[in-house]
Amino acid sequence: MIAKVSRPNLLRRKNLRPVAQLTIPTWIFLALVVLIPFFYGVYISFLNINLASFLPPSFVGFDNYQTVLAASETWSTLRITLIITFIGLLTQIPIGILLALVLHENLRGTKIFRSILITPMLLTPVAVGLTYRFMFDTDLGVINWALGSIGIEKVNWLGSQTSALFAIIIVDSWQSIPFVMLLVLAALTAISPSLYEAARVDGASASQIFRRITLPLITPTLLVITMIKIMDFLKLFDTLFILTRGGPGNATTTLGLWTYKTGFVFLEFSRAAALGVIITIITLPVYFLWRRASKGVR
Amino acid sequence: MKGKHLLKGRNFKVVALVAAAVLTLSACSSDSESGGEVGGEINVFLIPSPSSTSIQSFIPEFEAETGIKVNVSETPYGEAHQKQLLSYNQKAGAYDIAQFDNTYLAPFCQAKAMLPLDSYISGSDEYDINDFGQGQQDYGKCKGETLGLTLSTEPMIQWYRTDLYEKLGLTPAKTWDEYYENAKKVQAAGFGGQIMGFGPNVSWWWMTLVWSFGGALYDENLNPVVNSKEAVAATDYLKKLLEVSPKGAITATGDDTTSKFLGEDIGAMLNYSGYYGMALDPSINKNAGKIGTAPAPMGSVDTTHLAGWNIGVPADAKNPDAAWKFLEFVLGKTNSVKYLESGAAAIGRKSIINNADLVAKNPYLPQLEIPSSSRIERYPQIAVWPEFEVAAIDAVTQVLTGKQKSQAALDALNEKLKPILAKEPKS
Repeated sequence: MIAKVSRPNLLRRKNLRPVAQLTIPTWIFLALVVLIPFFYGVYISFLNINLASFLPPSFVGFDNYQTVLAASETWSTLRITLIITFIGLLTQIPIGILLALVLHENLRGTKIFRSILITPMLLTPVAVGLTYRFMFDTDLGVINWALGSIGIEKVNWLGSQTSALFAIIIVDSWQSIPFVMLLVLAALTAISPSLYEAARVDGASASQIFRRITLPLITPTLLVITMIKIMDFLKLFDTLFILTRGGPGNATTTLGLWTYKTGFVFLEFSRAAALGVIITIITLPVYFLWRRASKGVR
Repeated sequence: MKGKHLLKGRNFKVVALVAAAVLTLSACSSDSESGGEVGGEINVFLIPSPSSTSIQSFIPEFEAETGIKVNVSETPYGEAHQKQLLSYNQKAGAYDIAQFDNTYLAPFCQAKAMLPLDSYISGSDEYDINDFGQGQQDYGKCKGETLGLTLSTEPMIQWYRTDLYEKLGLTPAKTWDEYYENAKKVQAAGFGGQIMGFGPNVSWWWMTLVWSFGGALYDENLNPVVNSKEAVAATDYLKKLLEVSPKGAITATGDDTTSKFLGEDIGAMLNYSGYYGMALDPSINKNAGKIGTAPAPMGSVDTTHLAGWNIGVPADAKNPDAAWKFLEFVLGKTNSVKYLESGAAAIGRKSIINNADLVAKNPYLPQLEIPSSSRIERYPQIAVWPEFEVAAIDAVTQVLTGKQKSQAALDALNEKLKPILAKEPKS
């Protein structure tokens, strides 16, 4: 058997062994903080733990899954999550690309402009949520004041589902667009200038250069960004919690926020664990797509 | 002769040991009951609030006087009760005193998580339970046992702007019709008519109206009755009030409601008296000296929606006697004025409510005296209340945002509440 192992493979294995040994503590740490809680979460989703009941937990099979799948809130919050994800992606990716293209031109003042654009990304979502909550205030907010000064009537930003969702997307976009912009900018920098020079020599227009050269070459990066953003939207919580708390009513409650409410407000830990497993199942295809897209970037 | 033999040799040793044990135990019990020497340290679990800050201000004096060390841990409201439930569930004995919201009295009671304080209370002249009205004596009671002392007395009351009311010739409303008419007149004069929190805490106001209109949330068998004609009328009235409120009221929380009332020109507000601390802060209150208070308007039934904090001793407390000593020190009669003046929400002791000097500084204090004719309604004492409340808020919001009519929304809510209430552990 040993003779069958080719020499390069053997070498690689020998080289890898110390590396593998050195990473063992990290794997143990990851198992402790990720795998064990995850499998424990799956386990308790089959029990009936309610923090307020003080009864010993018992095995209930798929009861929690049946309950959450039968609840209208699960589907309405999933719908809201998908709406935010879809509109958010449609807003953030094109604007991110546009800003990256502008910065890539290295115009005068680009460095300052880039620093300013990155600032929102550095702020904590809770502080951003609180600031915007005041800005969106119907009676005292600066946004309505600005609209009023040009004769537009006050908008009840957080008081109806449509405008509240719109407000959430505005705030998240304000914070996330710099991230999209930075990654696209990195992808643009990696494109060889000779390709553009050759295209210009051939008489290609700016739009043709963008469609035929830039876009295809940054597509793997865009796919990675899309997947990361989808995962971000699926776990969107902090800004949303501060801005609307999922209201009015449950009108802007996402699946993640509903899971939080189920666990930490209703104290139904097992039901929340079942919802967590469902979110994982929804996220799984996105994760695999992200892995595939990442290979393209490499 | 037989007795002689019994007290000899091995038997004598056994009797002596038993006698020593009995004497030690009786010494311990007399120690705790008579309020004798109590020492050691206590761990106090508090929730950030003016009440918590006031409690902490008493610690140095208490420690110096008794030699008991007081350790405090504060946990924000969002996680506070979950943390307590976890601790009680594990019988960790982590806390000797715990502050909690009255809404959690029911789950704590079902879990037997808190120590009944009745024997301590009845033996304490310093605490003087008779200084409280009956409703407030019962505020921390569950199944006849006192599991929590009253840490704040916060009835839902009417607040109004004396300057605006005087200018428009209005008087505080005695009925809900008057309240609406007043708000309409103030709005017609170019101000905000009235305000209450129509946002994520709308349940506070909705419940108040449902009770006042003669409705209920559930019957004695825990069947939901939120779609009764009284509850529908209350919900319709709540929507009507939205029309005479500032636009932003639809998203206002309890805090937002108070900030808006104190910072803008709004005729009246219905809110818990506990918010009066904000009115005493000149950086928040732009209308200082122009705020009046009155009892909440009356509907077909005379009810008072009473809220407020409780504080108690967990059943697994390691040092319950020292814990009581601390509670007695902070919340007893001697320090009651000092407690209020240190910024806490008032506790409705008769001696506080009737103290003219205090009333001059805190004109809302008379509102804490709840007449015996008024039926006191507390947050529903059920363990499933959080889930019930979220469902109710969603349904009421559907009405307020015009998505559904009151009857349809409450019919749907009633159906939704059936499985929720069915989960309530039967006592």
